[in-house]
Amino acid sequence: MTRFEDLYTEADTFLHRLDPRVKMASVLMLSLLAIIMSALTYLLVLLTFIFVLLLLARSSYRKTTFAMKFVLRFMALIAILWPLFDPSGTPVLIRLGPVVITEPGIWRGLASAARVGCLATVWYILIFTTSQRDLVRGLVKLGLRFDFGLALAIALRYFPTFGTVMDSIIDAQRSRGMEFEKGNIFVRARKYVAVLGPAIVSALKTADMLALALQSRAYGARRNRTYLRELNMRPSDYVALVAALAMFIVPAIAKYAFSIPI
Amino acid sequence: MMRAFELTKTTVTYQGSDFPALNDVSIGADEGEIVLLLGSNNAGKSTFCRLLNGLVPKSTPAQIDGKVEVLGRDANRTSVARLATMVGMVFQEPENQLFCMSVEEEVAFGPENVAIPRAEIIARVEWALEAVGLTGYNARSPSNLSGGEKQRLAIAAALSMRPRLLVLDEPAYALDPTGRVDLYALLRDLRERYGMTILIAERDAEEMAELCDRMILLRNGRVVADGAPNAVLSGIDEVVAAGVSPPQIAHLSSLLADRFPGKTRPFFTTDDAEKEIADLVRATGSDAP
Amino acid sequence: MNVSIAAQSPPIISLQNARFSYEGGVEALRGVSLNVARGENVAIVGGNGSGKTTLAKHLNGLLKPSSGKVLIGGEETSTTSVATLARTVGYVFQNPDYQLFCTSVSEEVRFGPKNMGFGHDDESALAERALKLMGISHLREQSPVSLSLGDRRKVAIASVLATSPRVLVLDEPTTGLDSVESAQLMATLGVLRSEGMTIVLITHDMRLVAQHMDRVIVMSEGRIAFDAGVEEAFSDPDRLKRCKLLAPPITVLAQRLQAQGLLTEGATTPLQLVEQLVRVRGEQQ
Ligand SMILES: Nc1ncnc2c1ncn2[C@@H]1O[C@H](COP(=O)(O)OP(=O)(O)OP(=O)(O)O)[C@@H](O)[C@H]1O
Ligand SMILES: Nc1ncnc2c1ncn2[C@@H]1O[C@H](COP(=O)(O)OP(=O)(O)OP(=O)(O)O)[C@@H](O)[C@H]1O
Ligand SMILES: [Mg+2]
Ligand SMILES: [Mg+2]
Repeated sequence: MTRFEDLYTEADTFLHRLDPRVKMASVLMLSLLAIIMSALTYLLVLLTFIFVLLLLARSSYRKTTFAMKFVLRFMALIAILWPLFDPSGTPVLIRLGPVVITEPGIWRGLASAARVGCLATVWYILIFTTSQRDLVRGLVKLGLRFDFGLALAIALRYFPTFGTVMDSIIDAQRSRGMEFEKGNIFVRARKYVAVLGPAIVSALKTADMLALALQSRAYGARRNRTYLRELNMRPSDYVALVAALAMFIVPAIAKYAFSIPI
Repeated sequence: MMRAFELTKTTVTYQGSDFPALNDVSIGADEGEIVLLLGSNNAGKSTFCRLLNGLVPKSTPAQIDGKVEVLGRDANRTSVARLATMVGMVFQEPENQLFCMSVEEEVAFGPENVAIPRAEIIARVEWALEAVGLTGYNARSPSNLSGGEKQRLAIAAALSMRPRLLVLDEPAYALDPTGRVDLYALLRDLRERYGMTILIAERDAEEMAELCDRMILLRNGRVVADGAPNAVLSGIDEVVAAGVSPPQIAHLSSLLADRFPGKTRPFFTTDDAEKEIADLVRATGSDAP
Repeated sequence: MNVSIAAQSPPIISLQNARFSYEGGVEALRGVSLNVARGENVAIVGGNGSGKTTLAKHLNGLLKPSSGKVLIGGEETSTTSVATLARTVGYVFQNPDYQLFCTSVSEEVRFGPKNMGFGHDDESALAERALKLMGISHLREQSPVSLSLGDRRKVAIASVLATSPRVLVLDEPTTGLDSVESAQLMATLGVLRSEGMTIVLITHDMRLVAQHMDRVIVMSEGRIAFDAGVEEAFSDPDRLKRCKLLAPPITVLAQRLQAQGLLTEGATTPLQLVEQLVRVRGEQQ
């Protein structure tokens, strides 16, 4: 199942050990930093820093290449297309009828590509190093209602299961001679009725069963509940949090209070 | 001793259904008993199970006549969540009753809901995982377990509540033959060690005589037999008529009794069967006409 | 093994050192070789996760071997589409809910033959025959979803039978059925078999295997642990246990009685054993 694969890789790095709340806050700070920066040089420094973090995250090679292929393609697309749509400034490098390409346009394109690279990679790092359960737990601790957290957790948990069910249904119909590859788009769309029907029935049954299972385990028996795993901030978490805040606040002050171009 | 459950003239009719799923059932069990509920498809086994923790009628609307008492409480007047603190429930298919992201959270979920202190939860998780043979699986994802492991986890998740009554609806579903034997050993052990009352619903009586203290035979929502396993299995025709697979050895015993009246004593184990048949064959010379 | 039959006509199923790994690295088949002759009646058994379902899915091309060969009716599955293979091999999934989607049972059963381009008349004839074989003609107009599990399973099997395959593969078809229903199902398989159908049955119920099947293929950790006739397969309790299996009680008892010289043949049902005893006592007198 590549379609719904969990990108988290288990490992024991300092990134894995960080409190999920700190990680989420830090990722947010780095994202904001990438958004307020516009100078290509600084963005490249940030991108390099983030790539180093990516290496430190020790995600599996397969998952990393899977994600980064996507990020790099997107960056290339932006770098190429941006100058076409942003022809302000001089010198003009190319003028072909309505198409105008300027040198600042190219720099801005590169900067935008770097910015997008920073944003995408930093969130991938979060997903690579934080299990889904830690993400949900972090969100609940940050104030998300437990019910919503549980719903989110169940949704994430059942995503791959649902994919497997869809696969089985497709297999079952192919075993009765159905060829999904044949026919034009409308014919094919109609064929998927044979998949969606059973899929919906199965999803409804699952939902029904889950509701029974939750109640049978005393869900909602008390207003307050306890938690097996508490999140505890350790000194290293505070250090990381302060560092991440500083990484955003210092440049932000430089830019907005002292008008230093970054 | 307290009764684990007591149904008195209980009739259950699901909403929108024109016949009762359970019909005038009066049956109970003492604490510490292992009770086997046998019946074919649609006999009413699941209905019986779900009555005991209130899912019927609170989640699946139904008309209930008569009384349902569980551990001294009126089940109709107690919430499912409250009953769930005393009654552990394992559903037939393990697939859709596991919803957490890790094995330990799955087991901790129940105790968390009733605000058990954290240290106690940790101890219970370890205990429950050990009881079902899943020690060390704490961080695994439930969706990546084998069928048998999922079944064990579902049981552990019920055990961690330290239920006084454990209800298992066809727990051997999809387990391989030795997996079944392991499960039955676990259930006996739970009764020995913790005095738990255990109710198992099954459609197949093979290997069950050694496991349970009592067998209840359901047919079309009615109790047609109730008693010690050997007593119920002696009336094998009734078992077969109820659509339940009888244990092969007990079946053989009754066939032999029919064919050679008065020549064999009833038997229920392979060892006894071997002795009886050896006697029967060797006795041939003496009782020849 | 049925060497003599296999020699007469080419095997309908042939695996040659087939290996298969799931994405993510689980090696589910680790070199499986076997031949099944036309008309054979084969059980595939083994512990949870031993590779039975994976093996079965290779028989109609839903899975293709990562190495080695799978030949169905002489054709390699890796170069043949599932739709083509479906004409030879009917595959019944464990969960009937994965295939039922039509609004009526008769539509559901016609779906397969329709896909395969049988003409309308043939389609009706095939569907009717399949409904009759499964004993569900009276459910024709009902909606499949509203039926009981046993009936849904029968519809699922009928809808596969309607494609008139030469091989029928069934993955745990008796789970969720009661004793009456599974006896009916096994009887139906017996009828199909007498008409020359090759049957491959996956099950955890050793009583069914002992009573109804001729040959047992035992899987363990992705390999064939052993492949034998029913009698022989259930003769070694330790070997069975290593493969997470147990022989049915009557089979064990009959073997013990044979060892004592009290019986001359094995038995797979209580009735068979009693009949033998009647004979033995008759002879002694
Ligand atoms: N939600 C429901 N609404 C209406 N009728 C129901 C409902 N659930 C079960 N029934 C009916 O109640 C009767 C008893 O069903 P129950 O599920 O208790 O049987 P069971 O012995 O558990 O069967 P199985 O072996 O198939 O699980 C059946 O006739 C069934 O069709
Ligand atoms: N889709 C999948 N992705 C990854 N691994 C899988 C997948 N399906 C099965 N496996 C693994 O492959 C191995 C063989 O599985 P298979 O389903 O063939 O077993 P089985 O013999 O049918 O077991 P059971 O008796 O429980 O049905 C197991 O280890 C299983 O965990
Ligand atoms: Mg049931
Ligand atoms: Mg399987």
